[in-house]
Amino acid sequence: MSGSITVNGGENETVISIKGRFNFEMHSQFRTAYQNETGSGANKKFVIDLTGTEYIDSSALGMLLLLREEAGANESDIEIINARPEIRKILETANFQRLFKIV
Amino acid sequence: MKILVVDDDRVNSTLLNRLLGRDGHTVISAFDGQEGIKKFEQERPDLVLMDVRMPRLDGYDAARRIKAVSSDRFVPIIFLTAVTDEEGLARCIDAGGDDFLTKPFNRTILQAKIGAMGRIQQLDAVQRSQKAQLEEQKLQLERHQENVRQELEVGNHLFNGIVRAGSLLDAPCLNHWTSPMSMFNGDLLVASYNPAGGLIIMLGDFTGHGLSAAVGALPLAETFYDMTAQGFSIGELVEGVNAKLLKVMPRRMFCAACILEVDYRQQSLTVWNGGLPDVLIADAEGHLAGRIVSSHLPLGVIPMTREDQKVEILEMKADQRIFVYSDGLIEANGHDQEMFGSERLERIFNGSGAAGLFKSIRIDLETFRDGVEQTDDISLLEIVCDKAGEEPTGGKQTQERDPIPPSAWSASFRYSAETLRSVDPLPTVINVLMKLQAPSGHRERIYTILAELFSNALDHGLLGLDTQMKTTPEGFMRYYSQREERLAKLEDGYINLDLTHTPFGPEDNERHGQGGEIRIRMEDSGPGFNQFKIHSSLEGNMGHGGRGIALIRSLCAKLVYHGRSNIAEAIYHWTF
Repeated sequence: MSGSITVNGGENETVISIKGRFNFEMHSQFRTAYQNETGSGANKKFVIDLTGTEYIDSSALGMLLLLREEAGANESDIEIINARPEIRKILETANFQRLFKIV
Repeated sequence: MKILVVDDDRVNSTLLNRLLGRDGHTVISAFDGQEGIKKFEQERPDLVLMDVRMPRLDGYDAARRIKAVSSDRFVPIIFLTAVTDEEGLARCIDAGGDDFLTKPFNRTILQAKIGAMGRIQQLDAVQRSQKAQLEEQKLQLERHQENVRQELEVGNHLFNGIVRAGSLLDAPCLNHWTSPMSMFNGDLLVASYNPAGGLIIMLGDFTGHGLSAAVGALPLAETFYDMTAQGFSIGELVEGVNAKLLKVMPRRMFCAACILEVDYRQQSLTVWNGGLPDVLIADAEGHLAGRIVSSHLPLGVIPMTREDQKVEILEMKADQRIFVYSDGLIEANGHDQEMFGSERLERIFNGSGAAGLFKSIRIDLETFRDGVEQTDDISLLEIVCDKAGEEPTGGKQTQERDPIPPSAWSASFRYSAETLRSVDPLPTVINVLMKLQAPSGHRERIYTILAELFSNALDHGLLGLDTQMKTTPEGFMRYYSQREERLAKLEDGYINLDLTHTPFGPEDNERHGQGGEIRIRMEDSGPGFNQFKIHSSLEGNMGHGGRGIALIRSLCAKLVYHGRSNIAEAIYHWTF
């Protein structure tokens, strides 16, 4: 079983919440979720809410990189919030705090 | 419906003909069994009405033959019979009859039976076409599967051929175990010697698993072998591999990796960890003595800065064992989605001996997984430090070209402080030398001499570092951190390197065989150093550093210092 994604698009900020298992099976779902938002205008802020995320694999890290690329790479503003300790450890092992704001 | 009536009784035949014709059926008549079969084959009727007793061939045999030639479709045969005894009817069924009609005929029963047979026939036709479709699809699927399987096999063969070519995973100091979840492994484990004899090992874990993860392994392995063979440092290797992966891999793919250099001569371990779980170091008792955490982004994410190429240099102790593994190990699932976890892994380092750790980890993992399906590739590598000096059974398979006949040549290199800050010039120098002369089998020794002379010139001559520092573990670490600091700030100074090659004269040729003399002159702009103080015997002082000059002496025909001992001149003889 993989997880589910809900998108909450605001004026300046898009919140993408991921519940359950964030893995390779979520690829197209995640892509659709952010593509609707990145297309509309540049340099929007993204918040990835991992409150209900139980597990994250390397494919999911790859998806985050893809989002970063499409949201403007170094100019992107992406925040990852509410990661539980195990997931935070995975993000930090990959040193993703250098590319994303992990709060 | 097209109906064949087989009956030798003309009255009956005519009667049926009229009855059926009135209901809109087309009727074909035959007057004995033989003719019935012939007409059946010619006209391909939908249904047969068959009398039993007929001249030439009776109804039973005719029915059998008709059923035999029409196995591709359902053709109902209704027997026309006067008999009603069980035995007679059983013979009709036996011969392939589907129903019977007793004489004299009742029109309503005849219509009902023909109608029922027609419906059965339609059902049969639908079923047959569905079955045929299914079988066709099944066949296509099987053909497709077979194609995929064959392609995968070919791919796997090529893949292993390229990735494993020249790899030295059989080096005595390495134990490794990998468990891919499919035919292709998204984890890559490669090892190779650099020209100075240092063993470079890389464990890479690509995003995802299976074929799509494994394709990245090809460019990675190629760059790895190429750069290690040329003697590039770990930092440069990291940069080269990163640049290659950025170029060829899709953005969502990256490679978490750990690259290690085991240098037995320097008793040092150099580690770069970008995205792999903590590298664990066990002491002789099997306790956890240290760890190297990932301090870099994985390979193939963003272009690298100098900071990203930073490595950790540790003193290697003979009784230590180093463990490197992919996240598939700690994220392996047991029952109820529970993960193996790093805590469980580290609990195995409980002091019951270092030698059994590798096996214990595997056993504990297998017990924990208990047959639960694997969701990622798993790799585990152990480096046994006290075997780091042993050569693999197959020898160090360096590929060298045929030697070029000795000729006279010279080459000079000038390195400014600016150059020294940013590049390691040795790989280029050794390549020039090998291209000009290719003294087969001498590459490692020449590289070692060059590397030792160069590091003396740079470390002591220009950076003013003291070898004595390396005599304690703390000093060892301090030495390398000071070296890094001072090199980054280096503004003045130079190193000049001159290589002169002279072919042996006829006399030498007689004495040593055909070959030549390589004169290496390394001059630095430093104040000179006391060569006698840092000169120590190879046998003594094996603990920490400071063996440089003794090592060069053991490899060279001659080593002399000139000037204020800032000029070293080494003479090396090589033969075919």
